[in-house]
Amino acid sequence: MATISFDLVSPENLIFNDEVGMIIVPGKDGDFGVLPGHSKVMSSLRPGRVMVYGEDKNLLKAFFVSGGFAEVNPEKCIVLAESVDEINSIEKSLIEKEIQKLEEQETDISKEQLNIAKAKIDALEYNYYEKI
Amino acid sequence: MPSLKDIKTQINSVGSTKKITSAMKMVAASKLRRSQEKAEAARPYSSRLEEMLASLASSAASGEGIIKLLTGTSNDQNYIVVPVSADRGLCGGFNSSINRETFKLVKSLESDGKNVQLIPVGKKSRDFFNRVMKDQIVESFVDLNISNSGYESALKVSNKLQELYFDSKFDKCIIVFNKFKSAISQEVTQQQLIPLDVSDSSEEENVDTTATKAIYDYEPDEETILKDLLPKNVSIQIFKVLLESDAGEHGARMAAMDNATRNAGEMIDSLTLKYNRTRQAFITKELIEIISGAESV
Repeated sequence: MATISFDLVSPENLIFNDEVGMIIVPGKDGDFGVLPGHSKVMSSLRPGRVMVYGEDKNLLKAFFVSGGFAEVNPEKCIVLAESVDEINSIEKSLIEKEIQKLEEQETDISKEQLNIAKAKIDALEYNYYEKI
Repeated sequence: MPSLKDIKTQINSVGSTKKITSAMKMVAASKLRRSQEKAEAARPYSSRLEEMLASLASSAASGEGIIKLLTGTSNDQNYIVVPVSADRGLCGGFNSSINRETFKLVKSLESDGKNVQLIPVGKKSRDFFNRVMKDQIVESFVDLNISNSGYESALKVSNKLQELYFDSKFDKCIIVFNKFKSAISQEVTQQQLIPLDVSDSSEEENVDTTATKAIYDYEPDEETILKDLLPKNVSIQIFKVLLESDAGEHGARMAAMDNATRNAGEMIDSLTLKYNRTRQAFITKELIEIISGAESV
């Protein structure tokens, strides 16, 4: 079974770089899966989960990204994300507190952050894609 | 002639200065390594972003809104200059060379009849331009602390710049910073930040990118991606500049402190020589006094 090389990059560092079997990426128009040999695509991302699978389709890692870009070609998939958290490391109570704080503010920036925080909570609760 | 005690105190004080400078050198060296690692870690992101942008940029038509970051305002009357210095001194010519270069740039732009405004980053350039061109400062950023707060602090600068740009407060933005060449040498560099200068980085790859461009699918579409990409690119460029400048600062401080330590060492050597000579002179003098005293008895 073929593999595809996957890079997950944030402005501060390279977070993931390995050969994997499949990746699911939260594209702006909907999630899309990337398998080895995928056609060339460039997409912007919405806040959501990036799921990384091994060769036999077992879930290796799940990340939350707050937005960014993905570039896919048949050998390589690169995700450039603004901020990245591993799903397991997210503390739900902290996010909920953040949401409360953000809801009191009424600026454009806080609204944007609020959307991201809400998407984070959703990402914690969703469990689809975990087994495929 | 100074007394022996005076020389001794002088030696001691130079000795403690030497201790301080050599400690500062050590600190700078370890900080340098850390900020170099940070700059290294940020490289994959910015190079990828540049690649993506290069393949998209050719498709951009001139237009309104965010695309202006790429195509410019078709005007070049109002400039913003962003000098990036350190927050602290004691790092050789690091800050003064930035200030000097920026000052020259501003003067030459003004003699061409342009309006120039300043957004100094870092205490040392803020203080300098507060003295010489106070009315031209729009905003200043100090204590950004790039090595700890990271990308967030770059966002602050970038958001402010874009806000001003879309309010049509300026047409071109030039950032002046110390480019990190090696641990001991930095180069004062000017970079045009807005509108984006794609020509220099992608000229060689142009053939390549036009070829790949035809094959890529864009989701949702090229323009939307470009609109997301351009503001991010400005932030990333600023982030890169701040990291380079941070690494450069530590490098410059390390070199400056190394020099200071060496100079202190030389000074101690010459003072010790002087001390010994003076001591010898005193002994000789005393001997002569004793001998001439004994002869006269």
